[in-house]
Amino acid sequence: MNLSIENVGKCYGGRVWALRRFSLELKPGVLGLLGPNGAGKTTLMSILATITRASEGKVTWNGTDLAADPNALRAVLGYLPQDFGVYPNLNAQEFLEYLAAVKGLDAATSRRRIDQLLSLVNLADVSRRPLGGFSGGMKQRVGIAQALLNDPQLLIVDEPTAGLDPEERVRFRNLLSDLSGERIVILSTHIVSDVEATATDIALISNGALVAHAAPEDLLSRIEGRVWEWVVPSADLNAVKQCYRVSNTMRRSDGVHVRVIAQDAPPGAQPVVPTLEDAYLDALSLYRTGTAA
Amino acid sequence: MKRSRVLWHLVKADFLTRVRRTSFLVTLAFAVFLGYQTFAGHIVMQLDDYRGVYNSAWVGALMGLVTSSFLTLVGFYIVKGSILRDETTRVGQILAATPMSKPFYTVAKSLGNFAVLAAMVLVMAAAALCMQLIRAEDRTLHLWTLLSPLLLYALPSMAFVAAVAVLFETLPVLRGGLGNVAWFFFWMALLIGGIAPAMAHRGTPGNAAYFHDFTGLPTMMYQMRAPLLKVDPTFHDSFSLSIGSPPPRHRFLWTGVQWNAIEVAARLLWFVWALAAALLASIFFHRFDPARERLIRARTAPVERPAVEELSAAKELARADPWSARLTPLPPASMKNTFVSLVAAELRLMLKGRQWWWYAVAGGLFIGCLAAPLDASRSGVILAAWIWPILLWSQMGSRESRYATGSLVFSAPHALQRQLPAAWVAGVIVAALTGGGLGFRLLLARDLHGLAGWAVAACFIPSLAQALGVWSGSSKFFEALYTVWWYTGAAHHVLGLDYTGTVATSSTPGLYLVLTAALLASCWMRRRTQLAYA
Repeated sequence: MNLSIENVGKCYGGRVWALRRFSLELKPGVLGLLGPNGAGKTTLMSILATITRASEGKVTWNGTDLAADPNALRAVLGYLPQDFGVYPNLNAQEFLEYLAAVKGLDAATSRRRIDQLLSLVNLADVSRRPLGGFSGGMKQRVGIAQALLNDPQLLIVDEPTAGLDPEERVRFRNLLSDLSGERIVILSTHIVSDVEATATDIALISNGALVAHAAPEDLLSRIEGRVWEWVVPSADLNAVKQCYRVSNTMRRSDGVHVRVIAQDAPPGAQPVVPTLEDAYLDALSLYRTGTAA
Repeated sequence: MKRSRVLWHLVKADFLTRVRRTSFLVTLAFAVFLGYQTFAGHIVMQLDDYRGVYNSAWVGALMGLVTSSFLTLVGFYIVKGSILRDETTRVGQILAATPMSKPFYTVAKSLGNFAVLAAMVLVMAAAALCMQLIRAEDRTLHLWTLLSPLLLYALPSMAFVAAVAVLFETLPVLRGGLGNVAWFFFWMALLIGGIAPAMAHRGTPGNAAYFHDFTGLPTMMYQMRAPLLKVDPTFHDSFSLSIGSPPPRHRFLWTGVQWNAIEVAARLLWFVWALAAALLASIFFHRFDPARERLIRARTAPVERPAVEELSAAKELARADPWSARLTPLPPASMKNTFVSLVAAELRLMLKGRQWWWYAVAGGLFIGCLAAPLDASRSGVILAAWIWPILLWSQMGSRESRYATGSLVFSAPHALQRQLPAAWVAGVIVAALTGGGLGFRLLLARDLHGLAGWAVAACFIPSLAQALGVWSGSSKFFEALYTVWWYTGAAHHVLGLDYTGTVATSSTPGLYLVLTAALLASCWMRRRTQLAYA
């Protein structure tokens, strides 16, 4: 199982490049796609989901070029877009039955699968309620269920935890981890903790370019010994921000706990264990200042 | 001062949102097309066998009446949807959280609609100018004479249409497809309501007649009558504004509308009606209350599980209940791509949400086709049977765009080759079922020509719906066009326009078979471009 992205680019209106010379080789596992807003994550997802065509480059699924035969991928694709709609008059069961038919699942299999999925996403109790009355989080769970209808080999989920409550968020993260063994999962998000919990690989993307592609441990090892924390009075916070790359601040009774990424220890600072958020901020910052990550 | 500034920005934003869309260019193109049709003599205004010399007066009157008559019908469909846009873009919820009052909003929306329609009037004004200069029967330009019919006939009518579009959008029953169908009949009532007093009084109107006049047609006729009677005392008071009629053989000189206070007041009163409609709309406007937006609500309260705010607690809960433990892998043979089940799914989707009475009426029409005398069935009952499902057909092709499900549907395998034809077949099934009574009768009567016409019609209607839906991304276009076509062509059994094909004198199944094929081909091509990889 292999998804290959070779020098892919996407240009909108003949002028704006949302993605440029993007290359990536994917094997089974969860790829966390991280990047700031407007980095090109959704564009990349749309290309991989065969929703939009790349302006340049090539995407192949198990050696088959998507431009030549997109159905080779669509048959095994599960896609949860960032923004999607539902038919308000249908209930969850009927909506999933419709999409199962569109995806080509036979009736008996789809019925069994839908029952399982509705129970999986905790919508079994409300499966007969029209979707028009669903909350944002409930619709999102319907979206998750439809993405899993055809037992996909490639699962693409764009901001999947948006609108989910903490419990559902954790449950979904666990699901992604459980699914990843035998399939490729691409998880696009800007919530670093979601990636931290599930990803076996991380791709950092900014301004339509690949900034870094590595295992989370590799990214963390790059900033090992460069993350510091100490307490400063509130009045000094601005001065600290001028001098250091601040990754977090937290106000406590003894002052402001400042977490920074720096080569050398600031006066009075103690080294701390880096998080993926530190690694993400560091990699982006280095990319923006022109230093390779 | 502050309120006027807010109003200005609301109208401006609304106007800019529309003019920066491709559909606005189509709107203007339609106005240019209408202007050209008038210029080219395809739209003819005549009194008996006379038309006026193409001077500022006649050209201005012609353009003014074309605008107030035809563009008011189309203009409604063009501008309706401004509140829905605020709803779908969620801008409405932001506006609802401001101190802006409901009447203020509906008046602003009406003004935004009016600005769009006024732009079309501007195009017609430019066309009038060109027409007079190029026709060159009288090159002396009298600007007021040329433009006053557009200003005093077209603009007030457009203002009323703009506000009624907002009113329709605020009324739950009329905000959807039913409103689009209802507008045609409301527009007809406005037209007839204006003309009827003129027909009754034959040239000697009372003042009240001016106030009933929506388009200005009868008012204009009163104005032209006297000069024509001087030329031809045998004038029979016939006045028409028609498309495609042979040009009149004689000309007469007409120098323009002699405006009097009553006439001007009658025209300006339409602005007052427009304001009244906008204010009436504010009573029904729900201010983007989500509870009111969702018409379909669960009868019972949803089963809510207690929210778990602490992530650590949530982790514990989730750990005890792994999701994937309940998912079984699918066997490879489960992907069968059965077209029949997809057609059934499309049909279910199409029929979903219909109340029992909808099926009762459809069943009644089926039985009516079956039980009525054959002539009545083929010329009357079938018309009702094939207008009844209009709101089902109008969803075809545009549903994915309207409900933003395109990314889900179009990423499925063979979406072009399977989903589009399946939806079409579902539409044909609806036509065949609702009009099935007549089909059965024609079969029993061995009327093969009638049966062929019936079968072609059952294919043509969903083809038209799907093509217009796919191209426009909206149900509105089909609802408007089909209603007008149904009334002008099918209901009057006009040769070439009667798509039902069941009445021998007006049936042209060959033509509609070709049209069906062309529509399906265009639909296919358009959907191909919508799918990145067809």
